[in-house]
Amino acid sequence: MNAKILTKENLLSFVQNLIKTGEVVGVTKKDGKFAFDHLKRASDLVLDYDVTLLPPKKYVMPQRETLIKFNVKPEVKVEAVVEATPFTLIGVHPYDLKAINQLDRLFEENHVDTNYMKRREQATIIAVTPTRASKWSFWSSMNSIFVETGFDLLLTDIGGRYAVEIGTAHGDELLKKHAKFEEAAPADIEKLESIRSALPKMCSADRKINALTHEMTAILEIHRKSELWEKRAEKCYSCGSCNLICPTCYCFDVKEEIDLNLKDGSRYRVWDGCLLEDFAKIGSGENFREKRADRFRHRFFRKWSYLAAKLTEPACVGCGRCSSVCLPDIADPVKVINELKEEK
Amino acid sequence: MTKPKVAFFDFASCEGDQLQIANLEEKLLELLEHVEVVSFREVMKEHSDDYDIAFIEGSCTREADEARLKKIRSNAKIVVAIGACATIAGINALKNTRPLDQVRKEVYGDNAKWYETYAARPIDAVITVDFKLHGCPIRGDEFLALCKALLTGQKFVVPDYPVCAECKLAENVCVFEKGMTCVGPVTRAGCGACCVTQGAVCWGCRGLVDDPNKNAHKEVLDKYGLKAEEVMNKFNLYFAYQGGPK
Amino acid sequence: MESLYRPELATITKAAPMTATEKYFEIKLNSGRELGHKPGQFVEVSVFGVGEAPISVSSSPTKKGAFDLVIRKVGNVTGKIHNMTAGSTIGIRGPFGTHFPFDETKGKDILFVAGGIGLVPARSFINYVLDNRKDYNRVTVLFGCRNPNERLFTDELSLWAKRDDVEFLETVDKPLDTNWKGNCGVITTLFPKIKIEPANTFCVIVGPPIMYRFVIKEALDKHIPRHHIYVSLERRMKCGVGKCGHCQINGVYCCQEGPVFKYSDITHLEEAL
Ligand SMILES: Cc1cc2nc3c(=O)[nH]c(=O)nc-3n(C[C@H](O)[C@H](O)[C@H](O)COP(=O)(O)OP(=O)(O)OC[C@H]3O[C@@H](n4cnc5c(N)ncnc54)[C@H](O)[C@@H]3O)c2cc1C
Ligand code: SF4
Ligand code: SF4
Ligand code: SF4
Ligand code: SF4
Ligand code: SF4
Ligand code: FES
Repeated sequence: MNAKILTKENLLSFVQNLIKTGEVVGVTKKDGKFAFDHLKRASDLVLDYDVTLLPPKKYVMPQRETLIKFNVKPEVKVEAVVEATPFTLIGVHPYDLKAINQLDRLFEENHVDTNYMKRREQATIIAVTPTRASKWSFWSSMNSIFVETGFDLLLTDIGGRYAVEIGTAHGDELLKKHAKFEEAAPADIEKLESIRSALPKMCSADRKINALTHEMTAILEIHRKSELWEKRAEKCYSCGSCNLICPTCYCFDVKEEIDLNLKDGSRYRVWDGCLLEDFAKIGSGENFREKRADRFRHRFFRKWSYLAAKLTEPACVGCGRCSSVCLPDIADPVKVINELKEEK
Repeated sequence: MTKPKVAFFDFASCEGDQLQIANLEEKLLELLEHVEVVSFREVMKEHSDDYDIAFIEGSCTREADEARLKKIRSNAKIVVAIGACATIAGINALKNTRPLDQVRKEVYGDNAKWYETYAARPIDAVITVDFKLHGCPIRGDEFLALCKALLTGQKFVVPDYPVCAECKLAENVCVFEKGMTCVGPVTRAGCGACCVTQGAVCWGCRGLVDDPNKNAHKEVLDKYGLKAEEVMNKFNLYFAYQGGPK
Repeated sequence: MESLYRPELATITKAAPMTATEKYFEIKLNSGRELGHKPGQFVEVSVFGVGEAPISVSSSPTKKGAFDLVIRKVGNVTGKIHNMTAGSTIGIRGPFGTHFPFDETKGKDILFVAGGIGLVPARSFINYVLDNRKDYNRVTVLFGCRNPNERLFTDELSLWAKRDDVEFLETVDKPLDTNWKGNCGVITTLFPKIKIEPANTFCVIVGPPIMYRFVIKEALDKHIPRHHIYVSLERRMKCGVGKCGHCQINGVYCCQEGPVFKYSDITHLEEAL
């Protein structure tokens, strides 16, 4: 293993230098929790956090993204819009990075989604090894503890100093240009390795799915007709919270807006969620997932079966956000899959 | 193309919604390039009965209101109910949960018998309403969106999902995690969960979604320690007309 | 990299009402490019300032220079385009999706079953077959709609009825008070009237969601093999390119792996029919 070492002060000045040269987004405190936000100064950055309210997905797939602009008068004109400017994302945990890696593949396959890909190309990602896990997280069960790709740099707190692993040439260059660092000593590497080997135990013991990821898919398939779906969905609000906070959800709606002059306008996409009642409803009034249970089940199958077939791994990274935001407490994958497994 | 003629009317309400519109300032001037306002008590004295679009604020609370509403319906091509009082009977409906005589007494004192107010109802309980602009008060930008839809011959669509969805998009910390409670899970979105964003809770001013899971929410409120009466009060503030959980 | 979401401009060259709710449009791409679709595919139609809607191409690829759409007025986009006339500009993305089996069916018998507006996509294949008539064996077309006022492409229907190389049967659910002299009853009542050689027959079914179950049953009862039955399914679609997630039927993207499906490929999907 190869790593560089940044002292806390050097990390701060590295971040400060990045802020001086471009847009930087990082983890900040919000109302007793954490959120990715525009960084005004390096000291606002929090690297010791459990989980953010929304995943960093919001910077590679913004909540609202313009796709085209048009004029309808005096003559119709239309142009493609790609909103992409360089930015650095600091503090991404491995599970959230894994989710971004999955989105990269899904937006690229078959038809390349230019809007996503161009924006993604502009992102520099500085990941960070978690120092603690939220009480809902189960990333150990989802193979999301370590990521090999997707980051330019990966930071790990090795006790007051940061080990920096280099993921890309771009990351290397950034470090050389903007940071004062040392080479890691053997003792540092040892420390780094011991921290890494302790990571699988970081999620609390009761946050474990009792199956390997490919077994989870099989468990779901066997229990497609289980009563569990109906039972849990009885309490579902159809609020879509479990979709909207998920780092791997990427469904969107497309909307149109025209200016008050009734001449110029734009078409944009916004996040959508398959738990929302009208998600599969068509103009004639037919709703192809009319029942709460149909929608509730779809989310699980989409992540553990349909997308798993494309990605060769479930499209859930175990961040535990859906579990934590669902007020009736029905959305938790750990409970759902473990309960299904217990059914015969 | 001649400009469509627009008129504003108020019934039992605080006129807060018309104020939101009057406050649009430049945007309102821009809108006036496309429409002609023939009646708007908030900003002008003139009045005319020749209009295409009627915006109605406030609830129907008296028999006399019914005749007035029916007249508006027969004059207008399009009727839009604006604000919670008009769309869901709003705060006015709170009084529906108590005996009418008592309400009359409280409000009108000894003159109670002269006022023939009855249970408050939303506009569409009396006449057909084409579109609804929810909220207490309504949002100016949503009013403009509705106007643009009407001007371009489209139907205006309001969200049919709970405020929680927008609360997530706003990246708020849920008030249930902060020792408070709210009715966002059964309330129609469209406001961006602005009250939660500002540090309060959702009181439900946009009314219930079409298929609210009221029982599930009653259970959640129970679980978070609310007494049965407190749960009813939560639901009654804005949903008194639409009805609470069983 | 070309944007996935930018429509190309196109012009309505003809517009004519067909029924109270359906209107016919002929469209030319402003670039002069042929659309290059295959029978059964759809396009995303933009009315700028309103939005986009997926619409089947109704003409056969054998029609050159322009293509046909038939649009039922149900909402904003479809309502707005109904107010448009020849010369108006719209946007087009596509063609998208899978197509009817025009290759595999060569030399075979084809049974078309179209209900109501289902005739619109089916027509692209029917006319393709008729324009290449010698490539196919027996051709049967069954068409049903709710009442005589809802019949589409009435000129073509009478042409098909007159041709002796096509067996054309139609029915209406209710004749109303028109002077309708033809069959009455739902579309399945036409099945006893036709003779087919099941092993050699391909069946193409397009209609409203409720029609499929009944018609597929008739086709299976006639011993047409599952893998010879094709359906075209409608779902909510927002992107047409396999990204937005709206059109999923179980794990299948209707906009990518559909809208045309082989029945044997979807029998196991409980969200399909
Ligand atoms: C593959 C395919 C082929 C079709 N072919 C035809 C055709 O040839 N002729 C025809 O008249 N209609 C066709 N439809 C149906 C047509 O797309 C819908 O009626 C249309 O999208 C309704 O849009 P709207 O804006 O007028 O309705 P609104 O009710 O105003 O739409 C509301 C919203 O729902 C969405 N929506 C509603 N229904 C559908 C739907 N079925 N598919 C996708 N999104 C929907 C719209 O995008 C819009 O955002 C087809 C649909 C599909 C999927
Ligand atoms: S499962 Fe929970 S979070 Fe998801 S829609 Fe239902 S109530 Fe909302
Ligand atoms: S499904 Fe839940 S736990 Fe899994 S990635 Fe999405 S939000 Fe996180
Ligand atoms: S809805 Fe609210 S703002 Fe509007 S009139 Fe009633 S009380 Fe006032
Ligand atoms: S604060 Fe209220 S509206 Fe927001 S998520 Fe929580 S319950 Fe829903
Ligand atoms: S958060 Fe609730 S109370 Fe506040 S505006 Fe929205 S719907 Fe009304
Ligand atoms: S229409 Fe968007 S995925 Fe099929």
